Amino acid sequence: MTQEKSNPTATIPIHLRAATAKDVPALVPLLVRLKRLNEEFDPLLKVREDVESQAEEILKRDVTNPNAVLLAAEGVGADKDKVVGVVRALIRERPFYTPEREGVIVDIYMLPLYRRKGVGEFLLREVTARLKEKGAGVVTAEFPTQNEIAVRFYAKRGFRPITSLHARSV
Amino acid sequence: MVQAEAPPSGSARGTRRKARPDPDEKEATQTAALSERSVRLAKFYQGKVEMVPKVPVRSLEDFGLWYTPGIAAVSKAIQADKDASFDLTGRWNTIAIVTDGSRVLGLGNIGPEAALPVMEGKALLFKYLGGVDAFPLPIQVASAEELVETVERIAPAVGGVNLEDIASPKCFFVLEQLQKRLPVPVWHDDQLGTAASTVAGLLNALKLTGRTIGHTRTVLLGAGAANLATARLLIALGHDPSELTLVDQKGILHAERVDLDELMLHNPWKYRIALATDGGGRKGNLSDALVGADVLLAASTPGPHTVKPDEIGRMAKSSIVFALANPVPEIYPSAALDAGAAIVATGRSDFPNQVNNSLIFPGVFRGVLDARARSIPDELVLAAAYELAARAEDVGLTPTHILPTMGEAGVFPHVAAAVAVKAVELGLARRRHSRSEFLERARARMARPALLAKALEKAGLIAPMPDERNEPRKKP
Repeated sequence: MTQEKSNPTATIPIHLRAATAKDVPALVPLLVRLKRLNEEFDPLLKVREDVESQAEEILKRDVTNPNAVLLAAEGVGADKDKVVGVVRALIRERPFYTPEREGVIVDIYMLPLYRRKGVGEFLLREVTARLKEKGAGVVTAEFPTQNEIAVRFYAKRGFRPITSLHARSV
Repeated sequence: MVQAEAPPSGSARGTRRKARPDPDEKEATQTAALSERSVRLAKFYQGKVEMVPKVPVRSLEDFGLWYTPGIAAVSKAIQADKDASFDLTGRWNTIAIVTDGSRVLGLGNIGPEAALPVMEGKALLFKYLGGVDAFPLPIQVASAEELVETVERIAPAVGGVNLEDIASPKCFFVLEQLQKRLPVPVWHDDQLGTAASTVAGLLNALKLTGRTIGHTRTVLLGAGAANLATARLLIALGHDPSELTLVDQKGILHAERVDLDELMLHNPWKYRIALATDGGGRKGNLSDALVGADVLLAASTPGPHTVKPDEIGRMAKSSIVFALANPVPEIYPSAALDAGAAIVATGRSDFPNQVNNSLIFPGVFRGVLDARARSIPDELVLAAAYELAARAEDVGLTPTHILPTMGEAGVFPHVAAAVAVKAVELGLARRRHSRSEFLERARARMARPALLAKALEKAGLIAPMPDERNEPRKKP
């Protein structure tokens, strides 16, 4: 289990910790919000009717999966103990390339009031450290191509596109 | 013949209501009569403004002065200094009234051609009330970006731009972009004109009920062009954002509402207000928002039952209610007063306290044009609102007189002078004068169009109303 880590910068209005099974009910709506946001970018990202139960399943699995990093962000002060964000990342093997292990950030969602103010930067630093602990030599991020906010965020922090996923319905 | 949109009298809705004279039906009958006459007069006059010479032409020789070859020297002077175009041409007094026809009056997206009569009417108001030469300019565009680019390209001809009847949230993008890019003031009347007159009325209503803006709880019903601008202005005036609650069709606008990410992408202006106010600390619907509120500013859907008396009853004592939907306010003044409101304003002239952007825009444009201002930040908008409030106070504040009426024409030059002085103060003016100089100029320039029209009527160059020729003129 990853060790609890408190917020090093007082101005960042969140506290980040590893999620447990008890957090799953609070994390489900956040993950669903993210999927609904993704839906805005492309019709092939249309959210399924059973998105809630799917999210619950996947989050439950992540909690015990050694190749997953699942973090819960809590508020501070009056919002202490309120889950305000979720970070999901997975370790993937790279059989053909080096580095051999890749840490993929698959989901980051923060409630609107807890964005900016250095929060994204902080989350990225924390999740990267945990992925590195699990042996990742490269960190990647998955998000809809049309999400320009994400494109800008990662580009500013040294990320570049290395593979593309192109889709059409059949 | 165009059919007027009057509901049949004695409808089921009408019979259920109390015996009180029905302002709704009266208004509908009046509107029907006006509509019919408007169409008839449009056919007769075929336009409401025209260009007339403002220089003497004694013979064709004079064209050598007004046009080539003499005029080349004037062009050269402007080539050397673009700002000289404000001195050597009519640019200083010329604006464009631009629309894409995407949200015209209550008619919706009717297209640029159909918007033209409305823009012509606005041009007439600009000329008659503000002394401003305004070009009606509906344009055919496919996107908001195209609209911005088009206006940017006509900017060399004008000293200002008035955006009109553009759908929300497109209007926020267009205004923001043009304010950034153009070297002249850009105004969107549906946002700024309405917001400024609302704020002016509110300042006086607060005064009358012993409140200060820093200690007021306000609910805004409707989160469209007008109310988003009003919310921004209130915050700029010192209203605590956490005491502001915006309510739209989906209920209270707070930071955790599920549609917030969608707003972030498609209406960042509403998103920002949602974050700044976070529902004033509340969630739920209008009823939840109104508990203990001092002020309700409704700019939403026509009533008269959009806001219910028992909802007004939940507000603080001596509450202030602005029901600004047209043609029928969200709640009738009588109903709001019965439910406990102390002061009620509407958008209509047949009730007291008309909140009307026509109280603002003539003075604002006269002011920015006389100062040859480079832009029109919120400080100028607020200067207009403060001045309008002060003018009503000069006459005397009462619960039925929180704003000047359109009949108090002496108000406009004062608004102009206040705006011009503020532009000078902020370093935005190409022309610096004292307040009294600006006031004198504004008075003269605003009085001129009526004199001009009178003279033209007297000379028979403006035809009398064809349907009034044989009748004695009604006294105003």
